[in-house]
Amino acid sequence: MIVLYLILPLALGLVVTAVLAFVWVVRSGQLDDVDTPPRRILFDD
Amino acid sequence: MTATVMTLPIARSATCIHCETAIPSGRRASQFCCTGCEVVHAAISEHGLDRYYALRDVATPARTTDRGYAELDDPAFAKLHIQEDRGAATSALYLEDLRCTACIWLVERAVACVPGVASVRVDLGRSRVDVRWDPVVARLSSIARYFDRIGHPVHPFRGLDRDLMRRREDRALLVRIGVAGAAWGNLMLLAIALYAGAFGRGGMNPRDTAAFRWASMLVALPALGYAASPFFRTAIGALRGRRLHLDLPLSIGIAAGLAWGAVDVIRNAGDIYFDSLAMLVFLLLVARFVVQRHQRRASSAAELLLALTPSRARRRDPATNAVTDVPIEAVVPGELLVVFAGDRIPVDAIVISGRSALDAALLTGESRPTDVGPGDVVHAGTVNLAAPLEVRATAVGEATRVGALAATIAAQAGRKADLERLVDRVAARFVVVVTLAAIATFVAWAVLVSPVTGAEHAMALLVVTCPCALALATPLAVTLAIGRAARAGILVKGADALERLATPGTLFLDKTGTLTEGALALASWRGAAGVRPLVAALERNSAHPIARAFLDGGTLAATDVTEQLGRGLAGRVAGHDLVVGAPPWVAGRASSSVEMARHVDDLAARGETPIAIAVDGTIVAVAGLVDPIRRGAREAVRALAGLGWHVEILSGDDPRVVREVGAALGIAPERCAGAVAPEDKEARVRAARTRGPVAMVGDGVNDAPALAAATCGIAVSGAAELAIEVADVYLKTPSIEAIAATARGARETLATIRRSLRRSLAYNLVAGTLAVCGLIHPLLAALAMPASSLLVFATAVRSRAFRDGGPA
Repeated sequence: MIVLYLILPLALGLVVTAVLAFVWVVRSGQLDDVDTPPRRILFDD
Repeated sequence: MTATVMTLPIARSATCIHCETAIPSGRRASQFCCTGCEVVHAAISEHGLDRYYALRDVATPARTTDRGYAELDDPAFAKLHIQEDRGAATSALYLEDLRCTACIWLVERAVACVPGVASVRVDLGRSRVDVRWDPVVARLSSIARYFDRIGHPVHPFRGLDRDLMRRREDRALLVRIGVAGAAWGNLMLLAIALYAGAFGRGGMNPRDTAAFRWASMLVALPALGYAASPFFRTAIGALRGRRLHLDLPLSIGIAAGLAWGAVDVIRNAGDIYFDSLAMLVFLLLVARFVVQRHQRRASSAAELLLALTPSRARRRDPATNAVTDVPIEAVVPGELLVVFAGDRIPVDAIVISGRSALDAALLTGESRPTDVGPGDVVHAGTVNLAAPLEVRATAVGEATRVGALAATIAAQAGRKADLERLVDRVAARFVVVVTLAAIATFVAWAVLVSPVTGAEHAMALLVVTCPCALALATPLAVTLAIGRAARAGILVKGADALERLATPGTLFLDKTGTLTEGALALASWRGAAGVRPLVAALERNSAHPIARAFLDGGTLAATDVTEQLGRGLAGRVAGHDLVVGAPPWVAGRASSSVEMARHVDDLAARGETPIAIAVDGTIVAVAGLVDPIRRGAREAVRALAGLGWHVEILSGDDPRVVREVGAALGIAPERCAGAVAPEDKEARVRAARTRGPVAMVGDGVNDAPALAAATCGIAVSGAAELAIEVADVYLKTPSIEAIAATARGARETLATIRRSLRRSLAYNLVAGTLAVCGLIHPLLAALAMPASSLLVFATAVRSRAFRDGGPA
């Protein structure tokens, strides 16, 4: 099961990347208003 | 294909093109139900925005004020509410009636329809619009006029700093939730491998087991240490302040689990509970976030109401006589202002010219209009009902009577003691019991087996009894209750308010508005009944609130109508000379009889407002007007009494009227106090608080000190901004039924919380006993801990609080 020692760090690295992406999403204000944008996609112009 | 797609609704015979409601009989010639809809429809068509009608999902009658918004261009306003940055100006505005997708679309079209506008962003939840424009090309007033004309009256967005602070808090909490969630998911994956290895045939390679345990620790320690830091911080603060807080047992459980887990990983023996701890932290953070969002929604709804108070005054230039709109911040004492009928008086002032009736209910609690003329003092916050007034400002802002009241209230609100929270009381005992049990477990197992076994079992106890369900019980029950209450038109500002309302005590009612319909109606008629259509024809010419009581029936028209403000009306109807008004004034212009004079005294003694009617020089009838009791008020008072509340009336109105209302509702006369001054209201509330909890219902600025002094203040619809601010509960329908529903709902919520607490404590008892006996395995903990939280969740969802209680 030597492959574990390659996959475990890889998986953990992936988690860190995902968390960093989430932090960026929050900081850039994309989750401040979750009511309006889903309606805005209905406009076709 | 016969289906036709129409973007513009075709005018049907009897519904409004804009809002699709029936057109009233008086406007049959029009295709619109009201001028508001007509203006808005015209504006929408003019800008080529007819697609609005295809986009929208709710049709509501439109409102527009037709205002110029000149005050938004005043330097004093710009300084406070407009930010300029590199040739672009930005400002945040509150827009009324933002409801649906089509509203967003229409408002954001301003970019194309108003020259110079760079961007418009709507935030539907906050009814807020951020506008960015080129100050050289456009002015804020022209943008505001566009919004107003398409049916969304505009107000400046106050409290920008507070909003910014809240956003920062929300974002910080969201990041913690994200981190805890990611940690939980990955720790579960790692834990499943470990459980499979432990229970599988032949077991797992010890080296691989160690690798998984190290990986778990590497994820758990930083992620949970960071995500749970708010709990640790509150716990340390509580310890320093020698208080016990629920976060203390939570922190002990989390910290002990993390620390001992790390020790176990390093010494490569013993159980680890990282996955259960991550679940715990994640659930707790989510609960905290949901509660925060709900409380924000209630308080921002209240703030929206505050923003609707007038922010401008009409200034008259003495030289040119021109009237301009200026922001309230720009008015200085000594300036001449014009107050039109329907406007709120913006400052304390002296009347220079004009006669009118004022609605001072917000300030004095008196529901009947007071008459004012030249030389009279008028106060900020009162509403001019009848005719234009010219006034000279004497005091502005904080120097006004309202401003002084605000200062007293601000001082008082700080003194309002926090109730000891139910959960914290439970938590206090919980900490003691669990700590003692952990010490006993450690000592017993250390003596019987070994110190390491003792430590292992003590840690298992701390982790498995970590009161997650206990911490979730209150937020879940309260959040669901607050959400349901909001749908019923009851805005509750936080959990404390519900806790305060759950224990019955004395309930003080301010008569105005909560018990009565709030508009004068005809109650009795003495004398000739045949003249009623004549009176209706005459009163149709007046805007005075009393006139509305007479409007039923008749299609006659009156001529030569003259109005003496505060006294009455005179005119000719169907060939007769008619005089209607206050009895002394009418008696001065027509002959009276002993019988009619007796009717007048009789009606006044019953608490009604007498109105004399003279036809062709003789008083032939006397009408009595009252503010009728709301339907269902009596049942609601009885329901409140059934919950254990002592209902009392505390009003600024005439004592006779108050007693009359009390009698109609079944409230004993000694519990009905009339003509109570604002200061006395506060004193009575304080006196009642020595006997137990006090709830105070009020709407006026004059009620605000009493609302702040009460255990729970309840403001009702139409209340003054200060009253809304200091109140714990705000009712959209100003009815006693809503108050009864709130009291009932609060009681149910507390019952739900108690039920949840009992169930989660029962779980802890079972799990704790197993841990003390050394029978807990990490897999068992991973299953039992979320199960207990689920149990509490189910209890909260099944609660009856506010489910069937709300007013219509």
